[in-house]
Amino acid sequence: MTTDTKSPPNFDAGKVAEIHQHLHSHLPSESALRVKALETLLVDKGLVNPKTIDAWVEAYTEEIGPKRGAMVVAKAWSDPEYKARLMRDAPSAIDELGFLGKATAHLKVVENNDEVHNLVVCTLCSCYPFSILGIAPPWYKAAAYRSRAVRDPRGVLLEFGVDLDVDIEVHVWDSTAELRYLVLPQRPEGTEDMSEQELAGLVTRNSMIGTDRDLGEEIEADG
Amino acid sequence: MDGIHDLGGKEGYGPIEVDEDESPFHEDWEGREWGIAQCARTPGITIDWWRHCRELIMPEDYLGRPYFDSWAQTDFSTYIEAGWISEEEISAGKSLSKKNDYGEPAVAMTLKQVLQEDHDHAVRFDGEIETPPVFAVGQQVRASRHGNSGHTRLPQYARDRLGTVHAYHGAHVFPDLSAQGTEIHQHCYSIMFEASELWPEAKWSQDKVYLDLWESYLSEA
Repeated sequence: MTTDTKSPPNFDAGKVAEIHQHLHSHLPSESALRVKALETLLVDKGLVNPKTIDAWVEAYTEEIGPKRGAMVVAKAWSDPEYKARLMRDAPSAIDELGFLGKATAHLKVVENNDEVHNLVVCTLCSCYPFSILGIAPPWYKAAAYRSRAVRDPRGVLLEFGVDLDVDIEVHVWDSTAELRYLVLPQRPEGTEDMSEQELAGLVTRNSMIGTDRDLGEEIEADG
Repeated sequence: MDGIHDLGGKEGYGPIEVDEDESPFHEDWEGREWGIAQCARTPGITIDWWRHCRELIMPEDYLGRPYFDSWAQTDFSTYIEAGWISEEEISAGKSLSKKNDYGEPAVAMTLKQVLQEDHDHAVRFDGEIETPPVFAVGQQVRASRHGNSGHTRLPQYARDRLGTVHAYHGAHVFPDLSAQGTEIHQHCYSIMFEASELWPEAKWSQDKVYLDLWESYLSEA
């Protein structure tokens, strides 16, 4: 096989299935060594720069993560006009805070209320709104969550400690296209005097995916 | 394709590990793979072709190996299929290419630059097409009985089921063809399925499942 020319893919699925079989036997078994082999080769060919990899790791460790989503939620709780813009056109609304980016150009916000609880999943792969929630948690990408969220959402919620009243409807959003979903959780009671920053501190990552619901529990416990 | 990836509604995968710590990467190599995937893509590759290559991983590897490991395996396969790297080179741990036809080596990007790139990478998949949408919000539709053997985004659990058009999203890149390198747009809708339509044990449930589906996956009910 020649490796002398940058060529586009041939979109040959049969060939890829064969490659996967070869790799199954020929790659090292440890994940760390497999990724090291990939990086080493791509760097040797000048296709990636290791410093750029460092920068992407730093970006998604220090800068881009669920804190961004929490700030959007807190702003929506505090500012009805911002909330209206967010519900109408989420990509523009998050871009007001500089958070538009990877996988959020078709973001939709779904709002929890007393009658409805929303839960987000990707049953076919692991679609996630990266630029606003960061790297998806391992459970979100695991077979147990992906298989069960659409079929047994209440059982799933119970495992996360959310015992949902039978009268509350669950709406599950399976991310089958390029749309991505962000759950807008309910603002806890007793938070009327809190600043946006304090409110953001109450918003959990899981509440924006839908595997957490009552964010006020800690306040009640403290009060 | 009716592959191992199509997990919605499958049973037997057990409880969820809910207590993992919230750090984005639990091992260094996970971060390395995330970074590699952000800064290296072959020209002409589409997200749907990449997803299809991930679906084609052998079932035991798909289910048995860690998540970012499957990304690395997918990257290997797309590069090899396009002829950019060879299995001999993986074994050798270095490039065996005599010529350097890869252009200038990739430059080092700073944190500020990758943050800008992330912002600029808010890729849109919608576009204008001339034909008007066939279905209207509120209309009942039935999902196709069959998928296809290539890449598709109609999960098995929704096939042949009745749903209601909840919203119209505009025309989006059609993934089944995008996975073969052809980019056409097709009307895309949010379709609401009653849980009771999907699952035998949900007979009395008021819960709902929403999927974003393309027009050719649907017919009038």
